[in-house]
Amino acid sequence: MKDGPRNRISPKALSVWRIYGGIETLIALVVAGGVITLTVLFDWPVWISVVAGVAAVILAYIQIKLVPDVRWKRWRYEVREQEIELQRGIFIIKRTLVPMVRVQHVDTVQGPILKKYGLSTITISTAATVHEIPALDTEEADGLRDSISQLARVAEDDV
Amino acid sequence: MMSEYKRLHPISAIVNFMKQVKEMIIPIVVLLFVNGSGSGGGFWRYMPVISMVTVLVLVLGAGIIKWMRFTYRLEDGELRIEHGLFVKKKRYIPYDRIQSLNFSEGILHRPFGLVKVKVETAGSSSDKKSEAELTAILKEEAIQIEKTIFKEKERLSESPEAVVEEKPDRQEEIFKMSGKDLLMLGLTSGGVWVILSGVGAFLSQFDDFIPFEEIYEGASGYIRGGVLIIGILAFVGLFIAWLLSLVWTFVVYGDFRIRLTDENIIINRGLLEKKQVTVPFKRVQGIRIIENPVRQLLGYCSVQIENAGGSALEKDSSSIKLFPIVRKREVENLLAEIFPDYSVETEFNRLPVRSIRKYMIRAAAVGVIPTVVVSIFLWPYGMWGLILVALLAFLGYRQHRSGGWKLSESQLSLQYRTFSKSTVFLKKNRIQSLDRQETWFQSRMDLSTLRTTVKSGDAGYKSTLRDLEQKDMKQIEMWYSYEE
Repeated sequence: MKDGPRNRISPKALSVWRIYGGIETLIALVVAGGVITLTVLFDWPVWISVVAGVAAVILAYIQIKLVPDVRWKRWRYEVREQEIELQRGIFIIKRTLVPMVRVQHVDTVQGPILKKYGLSTITISTAATVHEIPALDTEEADGLRDSISQLARVAEDDV
Repeated sequence: MMSEYKRLHPISAIVNFMKQVKEMIIPIVVLLFVNGSGSGGGFWRYMPVISMVTVLVLVLGAGIIKWMRFTYRLEDGELRIEHGLFVKKKRYIPYDRIQSLNFSEGILHRPFGLVKVKVETAGSSSDKKSEAELTAILKEEAIQIEKTIFKEKERLSESPEAVVEEKPDRQEEIFKMSGKDLLMLGLTSGGVWVILSGVGAFLSQFDDFIPFEEIYEGASGYIRGGVLIIGILAFVGLFIAWLLSLVWTFVVYGDFRIRLTDENIIINRGLLEKKQVTVPFKRVQGIRIIENPVRQLLGYCSVQIENAGGSALEKDSSSIKLFPIVRKREVENLLAEIFPDYSVETEFNRLPVRSIRKYMIRAAAVGVIPTVVVSIFLWPYGMWGLILVALLAFLGYRQHRSGGWKLSESQLSLQYRTFSKSTVFLKKNRIQSLDRQETWFQSRMDLSTLRTTVKSGDAGYKSTLRDLEQKDMKQIEMWYSYEE
């Protein structure tokens, strides 16, 4: 509790987030490309294409490099006997405590990209909230899911 | 134990019909008005009326069929409901999933001694299906069902050797709203504006029929000050809207009573439509005292309880108004009587002085951008927006003043304001998760934002307290942590 959560998520998450960022950037590139094409076609001032180009490059840097890096560096989690602690955030650092007795169920989810990298996402649901640990090695995730659902079975409190 | 198939009272066909019509009211009105301006002759002239009547007949027919196909019964420890014409739907709800039965009596119900019964279940999101509604059954029968279900539930939950003894239910009446309270509630609620906008929308429909312009022109011939007339009309309109909202308050909250039994809080209200809501104590997730600025000034507040159950059918069942309005100084005693396990705090640890600035800037920022934009386009009139900014900054200041927290062994109490001031009491074992957030600016100043979530209905209810000392935040985290 004192020093914050200890475990990091899988380094492979970085690659996955870069791919996500790449996909989002692609959309921005298409828009920028469209703007540049229009500028050439209709003889608009050159600075418009320059701005569009620069914006696309900056966005690409932010989404592919900066955001995944910072996010990965910030992500920490720890599953203890009595509670789960999560810490994450890029601009705002968030730290969440979820007591084990409040956990209703745990799921692992794996999309195609995560699967390719052998990763899984764990979602932990309480009666009113859902928490996510975004990228863990599939084996670790499965183990964690099982142990959380074991630990969560302790108390059958009202809600 | 009943096990024969039962039907609802035939009146439920009418109730279904009315419900459908209510949902179709907008298309019907549109149809009527479209017709009003049309000037075609012969058959087409009656077309809208004919189609309307046809639709109504169909809807009525559907209501009757629905009623005929709907059966319910109590069997094998379950409430079993079957309905549907082509697709037969069966919904079986085991007694122990049933949390409470809520009765309400509409205007149509009353003359026949009927009630509408809503079945509330634990309502975890996956079981939304196990909710049910009996549109109209005899009151005695409803009570009979309630007795059967809860007796059976008790028998199931208790160990077999324990003797089921009939203990008399505690039935204290603990709170009643007087006429004066109702008046205060009506006067200080936002209902006026709702009704005003309703009247406005309604009047705009009649624009085509009432020759407003001619009236105005004619009138201004007699009286020079047309403005005066409009002013008077506006005033009269406002006054009527205000009266209506008062009446509405009396209709909805009239005869408001709270009774306590051993396990439940029972709230009755309503003059025309009588409602009874049952809230089991063990499903209360938190208590919230709300003071809007006007009420705060007059020394009144309202009290809500966050309720775990909640159903999709009953919109307001997650946050239940325990006291729609009550004197602030009576709250402590009343709450202490109803919830002896909660400590009703009045003294709070306040926020650090250095976070005042953050509060004021945060609140004022909302007004700055529009003011700048408007000022650019409408120089210099846009600068009036500065008044708004100043007011918002003042609100920020008030928000800072209202912010506070207090820990006891098992309870976290928070005070904060958005526009109205909230005081919430949360038990440690009811808080689903606890968040701490720090922006870069906050970290630099050793401040944190605290956020708690308790279950309320399907979703959660979040309370947020911004900019408290990081060391206080740590203390709260320690308190919440189950680890040694």
